[in-house]
Amino acid sequence: MSSNGTPRRAFLWGALGAGVAVGATGATLPTRAEATAPDPVVPFHGIHQAGIITPAQPHAVHVAFDVLTDNRAELTDLFKTLTERARFLTAGGTPPDPGISAPPTDSGVLGPTVPADRLTVTVGVGASLFDDRYGLANRKPKQLTPMTTFPNDHLDPAESHGDLSVQLCADNRDTVVHALRDIARHTRGAMQMRWRYEGFNSPPRPAGTPRNLMGFKDGTSNLDTNDAALMDRMVWVQHNDQPWTTNGSYQVVRRIRMLVEFWDRVSINEQENMFGRRRDTGAPLDGNHENDVPNFAADPIGSAIPLTSHIRRANPRTPQSDDSRILRRPYNYDRGVDTVGNLDMGLVFVCYQQDLQRQFEAIQNRLADEPLVDYIQPVGGGYFLVLPGVQNTEDYLGRGLLT
Amino acid sequence: MPFVVRLAGGILGAAVLAGCTGHDSAQDQLTLTVSRGNCGSAWETPPSGAQKVLVRNVGTVTTEVDLIDPGTGGVYAEVEALAPNTERTMDVTFGKSSYAFRCFAEDTDAVTGPTIQVTEGSPPASPAVLPISSQDLSGAVGAYRGYVTKGLKTLADQTAALTRTLRAGDVAASRAAWLRAHLAYERLGAAYDTFGDFADQIDGLPDGLSKGVQDPEFVGLRRIEYGLWHGQPPKTLARYGDQLGTAVAGLRAEFPSARTDPNDLPLRAHEIMENALQFELTGQADQGSGTGRATIQANLDGTQAVLDALGPLMTKRYADWPQIAVWIAKTRELIKKQDGTAMDRRRLNAAVSQLVEVLAPIAAIGDVRRTS
Repeated sequence: MSSNGTPRRAFLWGALGAGVAVGATGATLPTRAEATAPDPVVPFHGIHQAGIITPAQPHAVHVAFDVLTDNRAELTDLFKTLTERARFLTAGGTPPDPGISAPPTDSGVLGPTVPADRLTVTVGVGASLFDDRYGLANRKPKQLTPMTTFPNDHLDPAESHGDLSVQLCADNRDTVVHALRDIARHTRGAMQMRWRYEGFNSPPRPAGTPRNLMGFKDGTSNLDTNDAALMDRMVWVQHNDQPWTTNGSYQVVRRIRMLVEFWDRVSINEQENMFGRRRDTGAPLDGNHENDVPNFAADPIGSAIPLTSHIRRANPRTPQSDDSRILRRPYNYDRGVDTVGNLDMGLVFVCYQQDLQRQFEAIQNRLADEPLVDYIQPVGGGYFLVLPGVQNTEDYLGRGLLT
Repeated sequence: MPFVVRLAGGILGAAVLAGCTGHDSAQDQLTLTVSRGNCGSAWETPPSGAQKVLVRNVGTVTTEVDLIDPGTGGVYAEVEALAPNTERTMDVTFGKSSYAFRCFAEDTDAVTGPTIQVTEGSPPASPAVLPISSQDLSGAVGAYRGYVTKGLKTLADQTAALTRTLRAGDVAASRAAWLRAHLAYERLGAAYDTFGDFADQIDGLPDGLSKGVQDPEFVGLRRIEYGLWHGQPPKTLARYGDQLGTAVAGLRAEFPSARTDPNDLPLRAHEIMENALQFELTGQADQGSGTGRATIQANLDGTQAVLDALGPLMTKRYADWPQIAVWIAKTRELIKKQDGTAMDRRRLNAAVSQLVEVLAPIAAIGDVRRTS
């Protein structure tokens, strides 16, 4: 403690209490040995929601909820509450002290002052929200359907679909858990969790794109999120049958279990031929480095990269396939043991796109019966429209949908 | 000498303050130094808004420190059980109101420090809550004990009837008699060890017994339930009925002389339904009868008895009190609607979960506090 009895830290907390995140003011604070490290903040307000083109944070939870409110007014309250919680949680700050009027307003999991920790809260709506409950049928965008069951799927209905999706991503797992508890606590009577996936991103091993749990680098040829024109063409909803959806984005979440024990019994050549890339470097089978661009045109019969390989089916790199590309934002998952003693782990596949049918479904149809399907099992998930962004403190999630 | 002083937050804070008007910064920290007989003095008016008050006990006895509205005695914030030579931070959001600190040193009369008036900003977001003393709760405790006493009589009657029915040997009649006895018990609101050892003898679960349902210590209503829904002839269960009768009689005999801690009542307001959520809504307690929903209804009756007793104290202190009735009604309606779809089930989960959220503040408000 300092000599005047006021810990330096208290000053920082005081600033936080006034609703200003350290990260936002960090530049104006003189460097002090006792000062805490800057707390990175991803801005909540914007024309698009954060958590889509935001570089993937290491930890995520994807949750689908069933909405249980009795009417549209209560549904609006739910979206306003979600907005308020997201606004607070993503900025960080000191939760209000209720005095003797109630239990603590915060779980305390992140300490007395909640850090932002690059938390993003990304909220979407599923097709079922547009049924007869809230009079939203005439607001439903045509392309928002329940998730298609593809030929190689093994979907569990209890783990599929949902009225509302919430993606929480942050630099630390406890931040994600804290955010989920906070949101659930403030919305218990209005919605209940239907399913939930916990995911993590591996660090580069040893460099480049992080690896999935099959040992392969996953996402090497992803869309460049710094290219705003490309994002407008591929990720953000632009021209459509429901103007309120503009600047939203279609989200696909699928838990894809990897049969890792089986996979580990497969020879390296077979593994690499299934993906179309080297496992060690991530290079395409016709190249030397991870970022070498495969030249399918020069290999028409697939002697270097088999025609059935994952990268070739997913993205044939032809003029016709160009507009079916997606922004992938997947996470690895690891969650227990099955009845035969095998590990339940794999990929929480998450992608964003402007058009579900033109993009994700086109890719999925090209991938049907690829050799890799013997080693993976899609078991649940859903299609959601991520709502347009919350533009300012007066705005709220779903305003365009509900007004 | 006790003092309250407004400290600029060190050199940096002073530098920052120099550029401000002196009233709009949240960087200052109030420090309150207390000891037996002293509860601070002469504090400067704080700016409105969020503040952290450092409360330091330099005395020799444990002290409770409340920030109060001296006009009403209502409490804005409290630091409970501040031991000698320790300090705690009190989070306060000052609004336009009057404030004073009140200290309750152990075995010492309350001491109230000077009053200050915050003249800026909007009124405090959450109004001060009048503390509840042990004395305040005595009427509620009396009313609730009256409810339990009556309920115990009903339980004794239903238990005797159950034992007679078991002896007669009819399964259907025994099951019906069991349910009546069980619900009579559940209506008492006996959550989380309210009735001590009697609770285990009357309604103990096999969980935690090394041999589970086969364990000789598995007795009482749950044991009878297990037998009646697992093909055991009612006559063979009559001995459990006898034991049950003895336990209920013991509880009835002891209850009048057993003291009810006044703190228990506000706690029970949400604990009965927390218990229902944990054991009944999950189906964890079910020994075969599948009557969990009826149990939840009975638990709602028990909760209602607690609420009826506490109502006079709570209506003025708890702004969301009317929400409780809303969620109880909703829960009751959903329990009756038993068509079993997953969505209905989630609706019931939502209602019970929201109900316990709105019940929880009663325990915080009703926590027994010193007022003098």
